[in-house]
Amino acid sequence: MKKTAGQTMQVVVFELAGQTYGVDISNVLEIIRPETVTQVPGSPDFIEGVIKLRGQVIPVIDLAKRFGLARPGRVSEHSKIIIVEAGGTTVGMVVDGVSEVLRFSGGQIKPPPEIVTSRATAYLQGIVLIDERLIILLDAHRILYEREKEALEEAAAAAGV
Amino acid sequence: MFTDEEISIFFEELEEKLQVISDNLLLMEKGGSSSEAIQEIFRAAHTIKGSSAVMGYEKMSALTHEIENIFDRLRQGSLVVNEALVDTLFEALDTLRALKEEIAKTKTETTDIAGIVASLRECTVSCEAASVAGVAGGAAAAKEAPAAAAKEAPPAPTAGVFPEDKGTEAPAAGGDSPFGGGVALSDVEESLLREAEVRGYQAYWVEIGIDPACQMKAARAFLIFETLQQVGEIIKSVPPAEDLQDGKYGSGFGVLIFTQEDAGQIKNLIFSIAEVTNVKIRQIRAGFAAAAPGPGEVTAAAAAFRERIADQPRDNIKTVRVDVQKLDALMNLVGELVIDRTRLDRFVDVFESRYGDELAENMLEISSHLGQVTNSLQEEIMKARMLPVAYVFNRLPRMVRDLAHKMGKEVDFIIEGRETELDRNVIEVIGDPLIHLLRNSVDHGIEPPEERIRLGKPRTGKILLKAAYVEGQIEITLADDGRGMDPAVMRRKAVEKGLLSAEAAARLTDKEALDLIFTPGFSTSADVSDVSGRGVGMDIVRNQIEQINGSVEYDSAPGAGTTFTIKLPLTLAIIRALMVTLGEQVYAFPLTNVVETLALKPGEIRRVRHNEVIVVRGRVLPLIRLAHFFNQESNPGERVFVVVLGSGDKKVGVVVDRLIGEQEIVIKSLGSYLGQVSGLSGATILGDGSVALIVDARSIVKEGGVEEAAAYAAG
Repeated sequence: MKKTAGQTMQVVVFELAGQTYGVDISNVLEIIRPETVTQVPGSPDFIEGVIKLRGQVIPVIDLAKRFGLARPGRVSEHSKIIIVEAGGTTVGMVVDGVSEVLRFSGGQIKPPPEIVTSRATAYLQGIVLIDERLIILLDAHRILYEREKEALEEAAAAAGV
Repeated sequence: MFTDEEISIFFEELEEKLQVISDNLLLMEKGGSSSEAIQEIFRAAHTIKGSSAVMGYEKMSALTHEIENIFDRLRQGSLVVNEALVDTLFEALDTLRALKEEIAKTKTETTDIAGIVASLRECTVSCEAASVAGVAGGAAAAKEAPAAAAKEAPPAPTAGVFPEDKGTEAPAAGGDSPFGGGVALSDVEESLLREAEVRGYQAYWVEIGIDPACQMKAARAFLIFETLQQVGEIIKSVPPAEDLQDGKYGSGFGVLIFTQEDAGQIKNLIFSIAEVTNVKIRQIRAGFAAAAPGPGEVTAAAAAFRERIADQPRDNIKTVRVDVQKLDALMNLVGELVIDRTRLDRFVDVFESRYGDELAENMLEISSHLGQVTNSLQEEIMKARMLPVAYVFNRLPRMVRDLAHKMGKEVDFIIEGRETELDRNVIEVIGDPLIHLLRNSVDHGIEPPEERIRLGKPRTGKILLKAAYVEGQIEITLADDGRGMDPAVMRRKAVEKGLLSAEAAARLTDKEALDLIFTPGFSTSADVSDVSGRGVGMDIVRNQIEQINGSVEYDSAPGAGTTFTIKLPLTLAIIRALMVTLGEQVYAFPLTNVVETLALKPGEIRRVRHNEVIVVRGRVLPLIRLAHFFNQESNPGERVFVVVLGSGDKKVGVVVDRLIGEQEIVIKSLGSYLGQVSGLSGATILGDGSVALIVDARSIVKEGGVEEAAAYAAG
């Protein structure tokens, strides 16, 4: 998945809690309007619930909660659900709005500054500066798979209590 | 050298033929040497011998060769069947299966076959029908030895067509000799040729040279025919196909094929087969060949050959192998369609009540037709996922036979309804429980022959295994005419094992006493055998079957035998469910776990310590509020709606907001990202497109069951 410097990369750009993020378009299946989300009792709080998509039931995660960001208000009319797929797993991510698809070369991606440490950095692929705009690139793979690791850690912590 | 497809076809055929041998050996053991059974086995062994040799598995080929020899002599009458022979043949069959497993895993064969070959030969000696016949038979067998086979073949009648020019590729354009000698078309063939040309086929005369050192000439020819028939139609061959099938040809043979492939393609195909030394291809046009009947009288022969290989079920053209995942995907799409149709229905209702004119009527018509088509589509796809239950049943007779032998019992095992079809997921699950039940029947149920005679029963015990469709479900019945279960014995055993106190045991009704078989750690056999009787069986059996929304019932009377009835859903993908609401959301309870529903006044709920309970017909049921269980908002009405769930022998009442009704739902997984969520077993999509969660009734009952014990203690 790592892009070499010369390759062009296409990224779906979206807004979340006042920040601009991007995710590789090859991981994006589609972008839909939020529909009725069915809550799943007993699931972690960043799981918004499940929705129906093409005959499948797909979990929807709240990226803001996932990253531990404060988010004003609830899902608005601009909100979208980005359906991402990586390694055979499909989830929907609730975001505040999708703005555009950007194309740039892999060489423009800078590694995330090391001082910035938030939960979100674990999912970063890098940072891109385009036209004075800072876009945080997410790694769909990690978003989907860090979850398992965390679940294990949580389970271990729970056992310890 | 072989493609995966070829290998899987080889294994499929192998499994089928081994099954044929196994089935017919069992028949032979029962009914003596029926000539039909012997023929069947002979043919099956012959096929395995050929195909395993083609694939290069020499041991398998050698061993089946021995088996084939024995059956060849059996059918000629120079051998007679005795018990030792059947036993040894079963052993040989086991060795073949072991070889098969090995090949499947490692693609090599290391299992030693020398021992079994020796015992087969030894057995053969003891089975000589008469000394004279025996000698003749022996000579016949020797004649068949593979080493001699190559030289044995009588010179093919048209040997002249194949001068010993293999290796030296004749100049392609030069030789028209093959036509003169080889292809002479009859009128019928000539007209076939014309017809084929019109339909866009080419006719080729293909001469194939085979290495004279080839050991399995018949198999080569067979393989070449198989290969060619996949790309075209073989019209005739020289020498005739029958002779080719028996390996009676010299250094090669010729075939006339109609195909749409080009010559190079055909050539490559044939060269992909081992031991082909050269291939010559000539296109033939109508009118160019002499219209005189040729030496290779073959139209009929080819038909016969085709008929013979059609004998070995090989409906390549009629069946397609499809990945189950594709079927699942199709099923999903149909699910979508069903949902949209439901939405359309609602829309039509609204439309009708608002306008109520001809237009609305037309729409109603369209919608209901769409509904019918969708239903049929759904049904057809479900059927495509089904397999006959024979996949499981077929391996059972052998197991029963071996068990009975080991236990010194005589059992007549009857299977009915093999063709009954079940969803493949269900088939995967029922194997183990069935084996458990059968073992119990043979081990605990059927009495030893002497005892049966003393009791005035027929000496041979009877076990019937039957599958049938009953009321939209599959019902598998397993009945034996053995000892049956005696409530008194059950009570005594339970006390002996310390599972119950003597008083508690005495209080049990007969039915409850029999239900003890489902208690973990309970076994009724006087002595523990390695067959069953470890007491791990019945509770696991019930668990496995309930896991796929099935149920186990039984009926037993002391001395008259036991009948188990397993009811299974046709498919795991669709279930009937009771839909309820809780707060804003809809939940589905699988109907198999729903015992009844109650509408109570709040005052009817009582408290035992901290637990809420209700009394239903004198029985105290623990109560669980679904809203508490799931930590969800609740929006209760005036009355309290309770769904009574049952799993195993535990029951629990679940409080929900409202009951919606029964509905068929398509089960969807929650996906790997969410994984296992406690209390939920999946989700389904409702008519309005929203998602409803399916409650895992078993886990709720399990949790409630603990409370039930507490409630009893308190009461």
